Amino acid sequence: MKRKGLGFYAKIYCKILAQDLKSKMSYRADFIISTVGMICTNIAGFISFWILFRNFPSINGWSYYEMLFLYGFSLVSLTPVQCFFDNNWSLRQNVYTGDFIKYCFRPINTFFYYQSEVFDIKGLGQLAFGLGTLIYSWIKIGLGFTPLMLLKTVVFMITASLIMIAMQNAAAATCFWIQNSFYVLDLAFRFKDYAKYPITIFSPVFRFIFTFLMPIAFIAYYPSLVILRPDKVPVLSWLSPVIGIAFFWLSYKIWMHGAKNYSGTGS
Amino acid sequence: MSAIIEIKNVSKEFRVLNRREGLKGSLKDLFSRDYKTVRAVDNISMTIQQGEIVGYLGPNGAGKSTTIKMMTGVLEPTSGEILVGGNVPYKNRTKNAQEIGVVFGQRSQLWWALPLVESFRILKDIYQIPDEKYESILKLYRSLVDIEPLLHKPVRQMSLGQRTLSDILAAFLHDPKTVFLDEPTIGLDVAMKSRIRTLIHALNKERNTTVILTTHDMGDVDALCRRIVIIDKGRMLYDNDIGHLKSFFGSYRTLKLRMDGGLKEQAKLVQKELPGFSVSADDEWISVLVDEEKAKIMDVLGKLQHSFNIRDMQLEEISTEDVIKKIYEEGVQ
Repeated sequence: MKRKGLGFYAKIYCKILAQDLKSKMSYRADFIISTVGMICTNIAGFISFWILFRNFPSINGWSYYEMLFLYGFSLVSLTPVQCFFDNNWSLRQNVYTGDFIKYCFRPINTFFYYQSEVFDIKGLGQLAFGLGTLIYSWIKIGLGFTPLMLLKTVVFMITASLIMIAMQNAAAATCFWIQNSFYVLDLAFRFKDYAKYPITIFSPVFRFIFTFLMPIAFIAYYPSLVILRPDKVPVLSWLSPVIGIAFFWLSYKIWMHGAKNYSGTGS
Repeated sequence: MSAIIEIKNVSKEFRVLNRREGLKGSLKDLFSRDYKTVRAVDNISMTIQQGEIVGYLGPNGAGKSTTIKMMTGVLEPTSGEILVGGNVPYKNRTKNAQEIGVVFGQRSQLWWALPLVESFRILKDIYQIPDEKYESILKLYRSLVDIEPLLHKPVRQMSLGQRTLSDILAAFLHDPKTVFLDEPTIGLDVAMKSRIRTLIHALNKERNTTVILTTHDMGDVDALCRRIVIIDKGRMLYDNDIGHLKSFFGSYRTLKLRMDGGLKEQAKLVQKELPGFSVSADDEWISVLVDEEKAKIMDVLGKLQHSFNIRDMQLEEISTEDVIKKIYEEGVQ
């Protein structure tokens, strides 16, 4: 038996993904309606944002376009969790009914096998919307453009994604221990809405929570500072890639620990 | 022949909370540390040879699933040793998974939205099956069952029977040394049951695959197994040839009767008429367990016809449940 490295997993993922897309296309109406729904959700979010800023030209020193930048940044960095880790939402159901046991019988990584099963294509609409917003605000702020800035943006976006993925993994994994874990997952997911505001507008208590306990400030705020305020970047911003990787690794360990202790239901 | 599965003095204990009744009890349970230990599997030992088909039987909650979960590496035994194909399942779960196949009667492991052939291709990659091996097993499948109509049908559109068939084919795809089948014929019609049994039998012959079969259907056991293992309440009750078991209980038939009047009351009268027989009644039938070595069915029926107005009758084999019940009540010599 060959060793199962990254290449092995990448190949299997692509295969499952291609098949999944093929079968999704066969539900055309479903595909179109959910895409339209996603676009509407984003537009509605944007409108409420816009109304807010018609009344307050700036919030705590953050201009309209800077806020827009944060908004776009958070949308883009939330895309991977939406696209690749959507099966976390079904974890509770799978564990509860005992169907989860089938993921324990394959000679591949359980976490990988489980997450590979669902690819949520709706996330791509969000990605397009987020990118549009980001580019528009980038131009309006007049940030200029250098390859280094692009590199920084990409690196910090990956970081932000990892944190969101980590939060969702950890929240979903609670179902291995508690029955009503949906609320934990839902809570974690709702908190992401606060990610699109600069953390300085919150009270010190929440600032602490959002930085160290539920690290949503790393989803958009700290990474964006590197691009938006390059002259005074706090240490926490530079630390965010490390924090992102650490959180992801930790959440993976928690998830796998839960899966390993899973014993299933009677049959 | 060589041993493929070795189980030595294996036990599995679960710690469960002693639950109290009522709302107040539930509140107390929140803070309770009052656990009790339940032995789901109690000191089981067996050795299974490569190529055997073993029927693993027992009533619901006997510990069958727990044993299978330990053999597949999902659960760790509390004590004792398990070796499956030389692997310790719990420690080398991935390596063990490569060499076994698992089918759960009611839970498909295939990709729901995909046609069967696409599931096969993904499995081919996951198990790293070489091309020629993959082709040869497909050829074998084609010779055994009519798989063409199945191959291009999405799993979600299949009937339960087709799905079970597909799951079994998928479990044998990587040529595992052992396949665990958990109630593969549950909920299937007679024709499909027979097809599934023929398939399992043929695959076992062709590939010399060891099969561990859990079932409540005596028909499965009769068609497939020469050896059966029976457990109840976690303890092993029987491990031997099926012929041996039948010599104890094979002469038993259940005579089912329907007659005028309330069945419960009539059953009592029948019992009076037939002392020494086991008589019971459910909503539809009065059942009389007849040992044909001691009494002829026709004589029993004739005797009853004198005193009762029999409207309908059926003759059945002794059921797995009855066998296990009898073994549990009376033991095996």
